[in-house]
Amino acid sequence: MLSALILIPAIGAALVGLWPGQPNAALLKKVSLAIASAIALWTLYLFAQVDVNAIGAQMTEYLPWVPQLGLSYSLGVDGLSLPLVGLTALLAWIAICSSDRDLQRPRLYYAMILLAIAGINGAFLAQNLLLFIMFYELELIPFYLLIAIWGSEQKRGYAATKFLIYTAISGILVLAGFLALTWLSGSSSFDIGQIDITKLSDNAQLICLLLLVVGFGIKIPLVPLHTWLPDAYVESSPATTVLLGGVLAKLGTYGLLRYGLGLLPDAWGTIAPGLALVGVVSVMYGALTAIAQKDIKRMVAYSSIGHMGYIIVAAAALNPLSLLGSVAQMVSHGLILAILFYLVGVIEKKVGTRDLDKLNGLMSPIRGLPLTSGLLVLAGMASAGIPGMVGFVAEYMVFQGSFTTYPVISLLCILASGLTAVYFVILLNRTCFGRLDSATAYYPAVRFDEHLPGLILTGLILWLGIQPSWLVKWIEPTTDAMIAAIPTVNQSVAIAPTKPALKAPAID
Amino acid sequence: MDRWIIDNLWLVPTYALFGGLLALLWSPAFIRRTGPRPAGYFNILSTGLAFLHSAIALPLIWNRPEATISFNWLDAAGLNVDLDLKASVVNVGTMALISGITFLAQLFAVGYMEMDWGWARFYSLLGLFEGGMSLLVLCDSAFFTYIVLEILTLGTYLLVGLWFSQPLVVTGARDAFLTKRVGDLVLLMGVVALLPIAGTWNFTDLAEWAKTAELDPTVATLLGLALVAGPIGKCAQIPLHLWLDEAMEGPLPASILRNAVVVPIGAWVLVKFQPVIALSPVAVTVEWVVGLVTALLCSAIAIAQIDIKRVLSYATSAYMGLVFVAISFGQLNLALLLCFTYSVAMVLLTMSAGCVISNCVTQDVTQLGGLWPKRPAAGPGFLVGMLGLVAVPPLGCFWALAALGGALLEANQPLIFAALLLINAMNGFSLMRTFGLVFFGSESPMTQRAPEVLWPMSFPTLVMTGLVLHTPLLLIQWQILPSLGMTEAIALATSSLIGLGAAAALYLNPQVAKPIHSIPAPIRDFFAYDLYTAQLYRNTIVLVVGAVSGVLFWIDRFIVDGFVNAVGALTVVGGQGLRYNTTGQVQFYALSILLGVVLFGALVAWPILAPAVP
Repeated sequence: MLSALILIPAIGAALVGLWPGQPNAALLKKVSLAIASAIALWTLYLFAQVDVNAIGAQMTEYLPWVPQLGLSYSLGVDGLSLPLVGLTALLAWIAICSSDRDLQRPRLYYAMILLAIAGINGAFLAQNLLLFIMFYELELIPFYLLIAIWGSEQKRGYAATKFLIYTAISGILVLAGFLALTWLSGSSSFDIGQIDITKLSDNAQLICLLLLVVGFGIKIPLVPLHTWLPDAYVESSPATTVLLGGVLAKLGTYGLLRYGLGLLPDAWGTIAPGLALVGVVSVMYGALTAIAQKDIKRMVAYSSIGHMGYIIVAAAALNPLSLLGSVAQMVSHGLILAILFYLVGVIEKKVGTRDLDKLNGLMSPIRGLPLTSGLLVLAGMASAGIPGMVGFVAEYMVFQGSFTTYPVISLLCILASGLTAVYFVILLNRTCFGRLDSATAYYPAVRFDEHLPGLILTGLILWLGIQPSWLVKWIEPTTDAMIAAIPTVNQSVAIAPTKPALKAPAID
Repeated sequence: MDRWIIDNLWLVPTYALFGGLLALLWSPAFIRRTGPRPAGYFNILSTGLAFLHSAIALPLIWNRPEATISFNWLDAAGLNVDLDLKASVVNVGTMALISGITFLAQLFAVGYMEMDWGWARFYSLLGLFEGGMSLLVLCDSAFFTYIVLEILTLGTYLLVGLWFSQPLVVTGARDAFLTKRVGDLVLLMGVVALLPIAGTWNFTDLAEWAKTAELDPTVATLLGLALVAGPIGKCAQIPLHLWLDEAMEGPLPASILRNAVVVPIGAWVLVKFQPVIALSPVAVTVEWVVGLVTALLCSAIAIAQIDIKRVLSYATSAYMGLVFVAISFGQLNLALLLCFTYSVAMVLLTMSAGCVISNCVTQDVTQLGGLWPKRPAAGPGFLVGMLGLVAVPPLGCFWALAALGGALLEANQPLIFAALLLINAMNGFSLMRTFGLVFFGSESPMTQRAPEVLWPMSFPTLVMTGLVLHTPLLLIQWQILPSLGMTEAIALATSSLIGLGAAAALYLNPQVAKPIHSIPAPIRDFFAYDLYTAQLYRNTIVLVVGAVSGVLFWIDRFIVDGFVNAVGALTVVGGQGLRYNTTGQVQFYALSILLGVVLFGALVAWPILAPAVP
């Protein structure tokens, strides 16, 4: 069942990569889209089959692979990974859908995208530390090639190498953390359930956790480990950026929650105040540096640093609501960042520039890009946390959840969401508003299939914003259980609003 | 049937929202064949339906207990967020007022926006505003109040930015969004903090809780200030008042709604929060000081404006300031009464101004004149609106303002009462000045060939003229006419007389020399340029944020990333340099092997050698 989510893209990658003859790019795009649709349908089926209220890994699969090493092929899904698997399936479809119909070396391109999907899905589903690391490192190669070959002309080599070095270091640190954790605790296997940290001294736990935090912190990324991000995001093609920002970065936060908080809750409690501080620094730093940008893609890239910071603040606050908000923010950030990068990609393709000083008046109904601009307004506002869209739901849960633990930090986060509004207003005012320069405005029309990804994402962003229960119901039992499993956390800090019973309608 | 109407009052906001959504279909991205006008017609229909529903429901619920209904929005991790709706007489009446005014404004827009191509966007946003405001007055929850306010902030941004090709519109939209957003976010801080403290977001429960709450004074002050901040932004109070002035760059039918209902909705929110705010004396003081200062300064600024719409926008800020004062003295019903009488008069004034602007090209009052015979609907409309807004007996605002004066005297605040008289006189002066400059005097090149406007504009103006004239009768009918003392009634009527009379003497007759040069130029400019607020913002908050972000980005590029690049460069340089070791000379290799062996040997033998080393 779960293996299919890894096997379909992996076999698909082989199929596309070894396609005989000289296939044209459009054909391979259709084939890859079919494979991505199969993954999406299978994921939907998974959503239908999962028991929402169950706690712990479901649909587990277990194959002892190299028992001498403690490596097993062990998969499972729970409320932490399920939403992210869903996000991966969606964004994979969108990334393939938004790829150019006539790009160079299509066999390698689509094979690499599908391979990356296999790696990401595997990492989300793995229930064994070594297996996780294998998948975590597996997606590096496809992404390196995607940036280095299909990235922008200017600095793609630099960006790809920087990405590779940073994330490789991240992998090494995480591996070191995992090895230390398992060997020092004397566990015989790397399976998540087998690791017993009671034999670890407090200091050893702390060191293991710090290794993980720095390792995953590069991937998220946290300030000051973030400088690979603007370059990698900006130099990649839009499809790659959607995957990079939408799901790859989530591997970092997912790993931090699953292995950091999940395996070392005591040490997590110790470093939580520091983490919250790092989180809020990232939030402010991302928002402020985004304001100074002149390139809209770079602006969105910096905004991503800020929004990932919320996840860390919420995870550090350690109560059921904040942790729920933290996971919800991963999904919401994935959706919103994907649509932003997608629309920026459309604008770049049609208008030919990303420079704020050159763009203008795209909302113009006849010669501009009115629908794309309209969607960009909605996406920007969703990112700025305007209610009615999913960004607000997640951010609100983060604020409310963190408030009881770290009041000042969560108020700073609210302040930062005001700064988010500042740079999105700059972006929208320069891009969508203003007078269209009629001398240069001969833009190709945006086709329907180019609108489709944006429309799908907008629909989801609005729907989950209006009906947040559809988002939180998958996550809540798992995050509640994770908090309940932490012995030392003072549960009384968690807010429990005592709502008086409402008066019944008194009409006769 | 009656039962159905009352039970389904929650549908009223959805009519307009649905109409707004439907209007989007006629945006250029979708339907082009029919032109954009069906968007407007569908919206007018849906708004009319909303008005009918709430207007029919109003007499039905008149003497009945309040009906509440609750929808669960989110129930997760111990947080239970309900959308509580409450159908009381005041709520439903306000809803009827909002949908009625929106209906007339939409009809007005059919004429005013005759040649515009942005109908779909415009009407969908009007639908959003009407739906949002109806939901806001119906809902009884602080959280959803915040949500609606924030969505309306986005709506303001888009509505002000409707004519986005013009630079002034773009800055106006930006400032409107950011200023209101500042207020909203501080309000959000308050709302987030309120839940753990009070345990509920339901306004009814909050009022109950506030009666017995014992709160740490610091917490109460911070909370109260945060809750006041949202309305300060919404109601365009100093120091967040600039946006309303700049928002006047948007289309006029939207200004009708904005001046008359969108801005007062902020006061509505303040009324709802007042029980919590009242826990802190500091917050209450801030409330009335802000209100009074705004009312004083904005009525003075209004006198110095030459743009007819800006005269009205500053009058809006000034009246909202008075509402703030009323609320801070605990006169909640009086505040709502003032909002109502103000609202109908302001609709009429803005509509009349629209009738003037529509066919005159300019909105600069100094370039207008002599329009009285040419605008048989707008001229009397402006006059009635003016009399309705200034405390002139027996029209609407006289009762509300005089009652406010009475309350101030009762609270032993003669100074504030004197300020109220001054504000009223200044408002009278500013409006009569505008009236004289626009409708009297000699014709100017701009007004010579100005034909009468289309019927969709004059008809709503006539309807509103009738409504403003009937306001006192409505108040009697609803039994909310306040009883007045002689002192305040006479004092206010006199202050109106002085203000209106002085301006009438100066501006109704073009022959009279204007005393404008008797006021020193710096003072005139100070008010004409809106206290230099734009420059103040630019030199403080905008400068700071810009500088900080610039510096931070520099650090990011050259220090954080610079360090990383330096490590990379050093590695490369190191490799490049060491490559010259490969010389191909055997002696050199032998030397390095020897050195290596010695070093290694020394290291291995260190435990033995160590004691020997002194």
